[in-house]
Amino acid sequence: MDLIKENLLTILILLPTVGAIAAIAYKAVTKDDSSQRWFALIITTLNFLISLLMFTRGVPVVGGFEFEQNVPWIPAIHTNYHVGVDGLSFWLVLLTTFIMPLSVLCAWTAVEKKKTAFFAFLLLLESAMLGVFVTLDLLVFYLFFEASLIPMFFLIGVWGGKNRIYAAVKFFIFTAVGSLLMLVAIISLYYIYAGAVQGSGSFDFVEILAAMQSGKLVLGSQAGMLLFFAFALSFAIKVPIFPVHTWLPDAHTEAPTAGSVILAAILLKMGTYGLMRFNFAFFPDQARETAWIFITLAVIGIIYGALVAMVQPDWKRLIAYTSVAHMGFVVLGMFSFTELGMQGAVYQMLNHGVSTGALFILVGFAYERRHTREISEYGGLANVMPNYAAIFIITTMSSIGLPFLNGFVGEFLIMVGMFKSNILKVTASTNWNYVAAMAAGIGVILAAVYLLWLVQRVFFGKVTNPENKKLTDLNAREIGLMIPLLIAMVVMGVYPKPFLERTDRAIKTIEARVMKSAGGAVEKTELDTKALENR
Amino acid sequence: MSNFLLAQLTTPNADVTLILPEIVVALAGIVVMLYDSFFPKQKAVSGAIGMLGILISAVLLVLMWGDSYSGTAWSGMIAHDNLRLSFGLVFLMIAAMTILASTLWVEIEGVPTGEFHALLLFATFGMMMMAAGNDLVVIFLGLETSSIATYVMAGLRKGDLRSNESALKYFVLGSFASAFLLYGMALVYGATGTTNIPLIAASVGAAKFPALLLIGSAMMIVGFGFKVALAPFHVWTPDVYEGAPAPITGFMAAGPKAAAFSSFLRVFVLGFPLVAGAQAAGILHETWISLLAVLGIITILFGNVAAILQNNIKRMLAYSSIAHAGYATVGFVGAGLAKTAAERNEAIAAVAFYLFVYAITNLGAFAIVSLLGQRNDRRADFEDYNGIGFKAPLLSFSLSVFMLSLLGMPLTAGFIGKVLVFRPALESGNVLLVTLVVVAVIGSAISAYYYLRLLVVMFFRERAVDWTPPRVPSALMTAIAAAVVAVLYFGLFSDGLIRRFSTAAPKAADVRAER
Repeated sequence: MDLIKENLLTILILLPTVGAIAAIAYKAVTKDDSSQRWFALIITTLNFLISLLMFTRGVPVVGGFEFEQNVPWIPAIHTNYHVGVDGLSFWLVLLTTFIMPLSVLCAWTAVEKKKTAFFAFLLLLESAMLGVFVTLDLLVFYLFFEASLIPMFFLIGVWGGKNRIYAAVKFFIFTAVGSLLMLVAIISLYYIYAGAVQGSGSFDFVEILAAMQSGKLVLGSQAGMLLFFAFALSFAIKVPIFPVHTWLPDAHTEAPTAGSVILAAILLKMGTYGLMRFNFAFFPDQARETAWIFITLAVIGIIYGALVAMVQPDWKRLIAYTSVAHMGFVVLGMFSFTELGMQGAVYQMLNHGVSTGALFILVGFAYERRHTREISEYGGLANVMPNYAAIFIITTMSSIGLPFLNGFVGEFLIMVGMFKSNILKVTASTNWNYVAAMAAGIGVILAAVYLLWLVQRVFFGKVTNPENKKLTDLNAREIGLMIPLLIAMVVMGVYPKPFLERTDRAIKTIEARVMKSAGGAVEKTELDTKALENR
Repeated sequence: MSNFLLAQLTTPNADVTLILPEIVVALAGIVVMLYDSFFPKQKAVSGAIGMLGILISAVLLVLMWGDSYSGTAWSGMIAHDNLRLSFGLVFLMIAAMTILASTLWVEIEGVPTGEFHALLLFATFGMMMMAAGNDLVVIFLGLETSSIATYVMAGLRKGDLRSNESALKYFVLGSFASAFLLYGMALVYGATGTTNIPLIAASVGAAKFPALLLIGSAMMIVGFGFKVALAPFHVWTPDVYEGAPAPITGFMAAGPKAAAFSSFLRVFVLGFPLVAGAQAAGILHETWISLLAVLGIITILFGNVAAILQNNIKRMLAYSSIAHAGYATVGFVGAGLAKTAAERNEAIAAVAFYLFVYAITNLGAFAIVSLLGQRNDRRADFEDYNGIGFKAPLLSFSLSVFMLSLLGMPLTAGFIGKVLVFRPALESGNVLLVTLVVVAVIGSAISAYYYLRLLVVMFFRERAVDWTPPRVPSALMTAIAAAVVAVLYFGLFSDGLIRRFSTAAPKAADVRAER
């Protein structure tokens, strides 16, 4: 057991890869193409169980990491395999390992061709995503960040819908453009560090951050801004922040269900995670200075995403646009630079993972039965598929932000954080924060409009289309895989305290890092979890 | 062996042991020729002799690394440093891969095997002399030896018009470029009074006719620029590469290019350095750095944009090889701006590593293209690859790995190569070089489109007509498998090779102690 705990993160990263190789080898030997899903299910479930061992250690000290490992990878260029989790990455790792078995299950019968390759790519994708969240070496982070593109590229391209090739290539090129500039920034940072410490350079997040905090490494304002934008662009594309979001609707719509689920639930979080981890820590001044840009874009994204979602005739595309809106909330919370707002942002990342992931799974169920995503083809489904309708409506409520479900907590925290923030305060009377928070409030209302309207069109009324009359309700596997998601929605909505406690220290550190270097007093916004519970 | 070499070092001049690796390769070529004239029907023996010679030569090279001697041999004509040793190893690898990858082509098209293998070995010998030459004359001799052999190889498909066109074009334009190079060398000699590169470096600061030096170096840039296919001296590349038989194209895109880079590096980085307080040297240094940086920018943009438009895979790879010459130039100018000898060695090693990776990836890709292209490379358009992905999974997987490595995706050696060549340029902090790096990454992003296109056609499209995967001869399989393993291995564990390339005497124990 100790052996597992000491190498916990490495095991988490490598196990899926080993599983993928085993699945392919099994196929090569036996020519059996149908049992690989069991490989995938067992491996991803095992990975989830192993990731639960993270609970055996407490919250790491400020600036510290748990389950840390640091071994040289290419000593000639001073890059190390350095991994560790803190409050920020803890839940994201768990979210990944939690979603993966569910997405394997939702692809159980949906994948009809080249099953081995499909499940192998899913497993490889899990390795890459976990690598992104736990790596503390910039070059290795970049490596995993890019590596996650390839399995997703294949998932969309081989098993996707009609426009899959266009969507896959667009997805790949958009993301690659951003991340390549980040590579330049990473190498530049290496030499800036080398110059600052009068020694060899470093790719290590902790070392570079320490040099910055001790004042050894001071970035010039121009260099700092260029580096900030090089990092921010690649993450903004990943989130995606308006106006670089256009790859997302295509990728989501064309991807197979499991691909959409992973894309929405986990891949997008890499962007917001990267912004919080690297941009805020390395470039606090630049982050503050440019906050108005990101807040503006986030608000536009929230409203725009909602409006576009409203008019989509395609069910899956509608959900895809809700992602643009919801991720706008996350960005808004992050750039409030208040503890409440940032806590809310992290919480909303998890919420979005759970509820939007669930929505995509549910759309997938309908698609598997009818092979169409046109909303107008459906109607009155509540009559023929009552269980399905019930689950879908609960998930919708969670996505809208109904109290006692998870979405509410995140959105509430973000909006309160935005109200309390001073980041856009010009004078005592002109405070643009209020405007941003109110605009976000409109976004919540719009979310209710487009999702409830969707529910009405799909589920209520009479069954008008004769093809829908024969539809069967969810089977045991389908209900079974939704149950963990529903439980997560309720638990996270009713009792957010354990989640917030884990992230608390990491968030405070980031907030202090961003606000303290402003020179002014840091406004204390203690997180009042009691108020949340008593509400 | 190492001690034996050391014992000979007391009389360094005219010491045969110091050019033994080169001699072995040339000897192997002669043996192949003789053998072939007595047994003209042979198919495999000449290849085996060639492989043996390459293997022995490689062992000798590696042994020479172990000794601590660093300097020159043959009265300063031959260099003995990491540049020569690492590039020498790259050329030997290229030759071995070419022999393996060409077996099928030799077999089905009835190529005169002995001649082909002898030419290949002579070309390799010439390339090794280019890397080893410490004197402009030796470099030129090496260049001509390798070029003439390559001209003939490009035309080996005698009945094919395109192959003839390819050879003739390569020959005429190549001779033209050689003339430029030679004239440049003559002018540099006129300005400095020597053809020895270290002596040139010592005298550029006090050159009698700085203008001659500038014109001479500019003409050498044209000459070398042609050989490495930097835009705008690249126009010959696509036609020559498309017309030549696929295994030869792979060789040409890798070998002569890397060889030209090795002498290019030696002449410019080591021969025209920045000399403190010398104005003439300063102007020369600044000029060639900025000129090359600008050429690099044009090359990267042009190569990548033109590659997008290609429908033929050989042509696409030809334009991509232009772009890769641009990426290697990034490391090259970085080496030119290095402040210390250690940094310079690192940068040279970066270029060597980059070209090593490029060569092995490219040769692997051309091996597959040649296999799937059938007779006369008829099937080399993108649409010929439609839907073969799941029908020939191993071949398509290998080709995908090569494409992703050329693209510079992490976990492949191409990624490490890109990081290595970008490093010295970014280290200098020079604005022009940072621009060059930014252009290089934008170029990489553009290149995603055409590299992925191959993956798209192989895996995402359906095949309309019936297709059965071809039989893969064992030699070809060895070459492809070796290339895949190398690409993945050096993507993960590149430390040893980088260290070896960046120092002429990496005693393993010292390296560890230093850490």
